[in-house]
Amino acid sequence: MSGRLQDRVVVVTGASKGIGAATVAACLREGARVVGTARDPSAIVESETCRAVAHDVGSEADWARVMEAAEALGPVYGVVNNAGVFLLKPLAETSEADFDTLYRTNVEGCWLGVKHGFAAIGRSGRGGAVVNVSSLMGQVGVADGTAYCATKGAVTGLTKAAAVDGARLTPKIRVNSLHPGVTWTPMLTGVFGEHASGDALFGADTPLRRVGRPEEMADAVVFLLSDESAYMTGAELTVDGGRGAD
Amino acid sequence: MAGAGELEGRVALVTGGGQGIGRAVAARLQAAGARVVATGRRPAPAEPLDGVDYLQADQSLNADWVRTMEHVEARCGRLDVCVVNGGVAGGVPLADMTLEQFRALCGINLKGCFLGLKHAAAAMRRHGEGGSVVLVGSIVGMVGVPDSTHYAASKEGVRLLAKAAALELGPEGVRVNSVHPGMTRTAMTAAFPEAAMAPRIPLGRFADPDEVAAVVLYAASPRAAFMTGAELVVDGGWIAQ
Repeated sequence: MSGRLQDRVVVVTGASKGIGAATVAACLREGARVVGTARDPSAIVESETCRAVAHDVGSEADWARVMEAAEALGPVYGVVNNAGVFLLKPLAETSEADFDTLYRTNVEGCWLGVKHGFAAIGRSGRGGAVVNVSSLMGQVGVADGTAYCATKGAVTGLTKAAAVDGARLTPKIRVNSLHPGVTWTPMLTGVFGEHASGDALFGADTPLRRVGRPEEMADAVVFLLSDESAYMTGAELTVDGGRGAD
Repeated sequence: MAGAGELEGRVALVTGGGQGIGRAVAARLQAAGARVVATGRRPAPAEPLDGVDYLQADQSLNADWVRTMEHVEARCGRLDVCVVNGGVAGGVPLADMTLEQFRALCGINLKGCFLGLKHAAAAMRRHGEGGSVVLVGSIVGMVGVPDSTHYAASKEGVRLLAKAAALELGPEGVRVNSVHPGMTRTAMTAAFPEAAMAPRIPLGRFADPDEVAAVVLYAASPRAAFMTGAELVVDGGWIAQ
């Protein structure tokens, strides 16, 4: 039985924890060869089919190194721009430095991933797919979320333009965005506390009465990378337990 | 094979399942292990599928939904997945469109989804284990097209109907999502020239029904267990522009 991503090379950023780590595991399970990247990649378990690379997604030079590592595994098929920085802070207290930090990783990091992803996938001579991990906060506003919403909204928008560009390439490259709702990862436990129950904090406002699991977002990423979504490009896939449906 | 076995032991209903996207959905659900009942307005499916039970039913009629659910539960014991896919289209300029035409189309496309949701949720409540409802909308309504006020109203109505139902049914574990195809190679689009329209579509072609069906299967499957109230656009990039 072959997997949904059998023998395809996929780059996943922000791969040391949370949705990124679950995505690496899901891609490997589906037969992919994976380069997982993170600022500190020591938590990414390397194997014959998985390489870990230290990576600042806002650095163009780093992207060149990441793609070299990916091409060492084979022609590049996909890029998952997952790395992100989270912040909830009232607008009056959000500094320019706060904004710049989020902007550099969330927006420029994603844009560079699309740019270098297109180049690498183009060199493969085959088609490919890019998945940009935006957020429910890239679709709706949340209190104290101006900086984060701005950067994730930018990802939503750049995904659509990149989809149009990617479709003009030969072979074509699909680009879609994933919009996770509240997902219980270190990104959130870092803000709300490791020991807090995500379901208790967020369940009441979520139709499915619980928070999401990283593995559920990884399944959505695999769907967007795989041929199951062959006719989807420029689309927004929201996986939020219904939180944004109101 | 992708999806094999993930709906083993589950029972799925697909309306408009005798042809086009609905038939492809029935085939995908069956390949994933589900027992599938398809319905349609014709006495027999245009393109029958081996192993898929077919029932003549009009999704705009409440009595037909009662009969359909009785059939499904009598034959298969339960309902886990309901795909309300049946729909009609037809270009009529607003000035020429009669209220009867508007109402007839909305009766199938919009009220049919309402009735399907209502009866599917009731069937899922009877076993108490939740389930998944997928409503098939269209990109028409998310964007306008000429001569289709009735179609646009019905399909955009479906998008919001799914969201409202998701809020209401989420606590019971019933997920409700909508899938919005663009141009797809079916009888409904036979009059549209793919070669002439392809340059307006980023992926440069219409979809095969199976490409839409794969997205419906994802929404119906346990892989989308945390997804409800979502709208999945499968349009080759048409409305991203």
